[in-house]
Amino acid sequence: MTTLTKAPAGTGDRCTRRGAGVVRNLLLLSAGLVLLVLVILASVMFGSRATSVAEVLDVLSGSADPYVATVVESRYPRTVLGVLAGLCLAVAGALMQGVSRNPLAEPGLLGINTGAAAGVVTATAFLGATSATEAVWWALPGALLAGLLVHLIGSAGGGTSLVRLVLAGAVLSAVLTAFIQAVTLSRPQVFDSYRYWVVGALGGRDFDVFTAVLPFALAGLAVAALLASGLNALALGDESATSLGANPALLRGGGLLAATLLAAAATAAVGPIAFVGLAVPHVVRALVGVDFRLQFAFCAIAGPILLLLADIVGRVLLRPQELMVGVVTAFLGAPALLLAVRRMKGAS
Amino acid sequence: MNAGPGGDALPPIRPPATEAAARSRTAPPAGVVAFGSGFALPVRRAAVLTAVGVLLLTVAASFATFTMGRVGIAPADLPAALTGGASGADAFVVERLRGPRLVVALATGAALGLSGALFQSVTRNPLGSPDVIGLAAGAGAGAAAVALLLPGQVPVSLGALGGALAAMALVYVSTGTGFRNPARLVVAGIGVAAMSTALTQYVVYAVERDKAAALTSYVNGSLAAKDWSDATVIWAVLLLAAPLTALIARQLEIGEMGDELAGGLGADPARTKTWAVLLAVALSAGAVTVAGPIAFIALTAPQIAKRLSRGTGPHLFLAALVGALLLVLADLCAQQLPLFDNLPVGIYTMAVGGSYLGYLLTREWRKGIL
Repeated sequence: MTTLTKAPAGTGDRCTRRGAGVVRNLLLLSAGLVLLVLVILASVMFGSRATSVAEVLDVLSGSADPYVATVVESRYPRTVLGVLAGLCLAVAGALMQGVSRNPLAEPGLLGINTGAAAGVVTATAFLGATSATEAVWWALPGALLAGLLVHLIGSAGGGTSLVRLVLAGAVLSAVLTAFIQAVTLSRPQVFDSYRYWVVGALGGRDFDVFTAVLPFALAGLAVAALLASGLNALALGDESATSLGANPALLRGGGLLAATLLAAAATAAVGPIAFVGLAVPHVVRALVGVDFRLQFAFCAIAGPILLLLADIVGRVLLRPQELMVGVVTAFLGAPALLLAVRRMKGAS
Repeated sequence: MNAGPGGDALPPIRPPATEAAARSRTAPPAGVVAFGSGFALPVRRAAVLTAVGVLLLTVAASFATFTMGRVGIAPADLPAALTGGASGADAFVVERLRGPRLVVALATGAALGLSGALFQSVTRNPLGSPDVIGLAAGAGAGAAAVALLLPGQVPVSLGALGGALAAMALVYVSTGTGFRNPARLVVAGIGVAAMSTALTQYVVYAVERDKAAALTSYVNGSLAAKDWSDATVIWAVLLLAAPLTALIARQLEIGEMGDELAGGLGADPARTKTWAVLLAVALSAGAVTVAGPIAFIALTAPQIAKRLSRGTGPHLFLAALVGALLLVLADLCAQQLPLFDNLPVGIYTMAVGGSYLGYLLTREWRKGIL
């Protein structure tokens, strides 16, 4: 994350050098893809028992010894989930920041996390859900509903701003947290599964979770892709966008819907994870500028890289124990936010 | 002691006047209570009536705290029980079960209300409360860190105190402008709170279930199992801080008119602000040490006080009274509501305070303020 105040601006000089820009972007894209493959490989290699590249290749070709194969294969689900969640959170962040023109917008600040948590707690306490996969089906509507409510509260009386949305998110989170705590503290079984879920972790989940949230993630991505060029027009201001044939209200609504779908899918799958959705779009904008088609493509690569790296750090740092990825991202992201605070302008 | 409805003395809640409207209205002429030559407090009739009303409600809530529920004392026996004339079950309820808890709730609520009023006056931000800028989350993280790293060696409350102070220092340093810029304060608070919460949640996950549940209760702010030593701590903090607050109350009220005007009137706004923030942090820290981070009292008590009172200024004294009333009422709910068994009081304040804040915000947004 480089700047807070500069982010929405800084387009002009980048648009002019078109040809050179395309080559540069293609180079960046391939570099990003190579990095992503390397990180995925590392995610399969590292853990409480580290394996070598040769061993991993053996497992992939089916000639490894069964113990190593089990160790390596146990890391497949978390790697796949990491890619999906990182991708969803980063694109959702880019959408929210673009739609609200607010460099601090992030799904986590807007009540989606507590909404998903409330869904999970309700499902495990009152509806008999026992597995993470079942809870997913309640985390999704919880998150979607919470996102909707925050935007309704935040836009009361017309107009939304960073401070309003964040405050509305805080209000809804407070009320939902009170509910969550009341239920979990009076039911030890629910408390046990909740205290693990709420940290945000890639481990301990299987492929079912991935397939459960995949449709929502794909729907969100499809909407995002459809909106990309319209969002570019919207970035010029409502009037210019209208004269270019775009419908600002529709674009905003669609953008928030897609962001909520993506964030809800990620949170339902791996629990609340802070700061990935906030930080990745800033890094991406600093690299490729504000064209939303490029932003989405690069967020889809950079998000998984960051999340998997954080997960690997968490696995290696306290070996043989694990630090969950949600803790790692919070401790990477919060200092970055604190450093950025000084650059904020004026009152709000 | 009469449990009758003390609410009759309350003036109806007026729609909140905008700051400008409130300022343009001249405060009603006041009598002055003077203590020596150094300290004089203007007293308004309406303010006194309001304060008496809040006090009566607090007395009624305290009365209910002793008399309600399974081991409640019969109203007729209460005066004797309170003056030490009871024995057996009643004495146990007064001396161990509910007495200390009530005494702690009164002082903790008052400390939180006073602290919130100070914060909101200094930041000139109706939401500037220790909750919003990460003090509570920091206290939770401190308590959690102690529970994980030094279990049984250091009291959890000391960890909470350390965590709260560390969080405030971090927010203060990272904004670059101290506590002055409300937007920066909120964003820095988000960062500090995110880190603190991540740490707390990790510890709650990492320790075994019973410890985790106890820690979660504490982190939500709980008045369960308080004894007279807790009461001594929080009352000492309150009684030390209150006179100092009264000393700067006049300066604070002048300060709310703006730094330049205040300077012209012979005040020293910078020094007053520093003192006010120090006192607010000390009061919050004391409350957190005794009862854990209880949400939203510091935020809502000054807001309610402002709406009850007709004058301008920070309403320090009334905010403290309202804070005490709110916490005693919330604790009464925590003890008597049959819905959930023995939930920490902070959960009730969070639910009600959060809803109230949402109501307040949407109403002010509709009117285009903030």
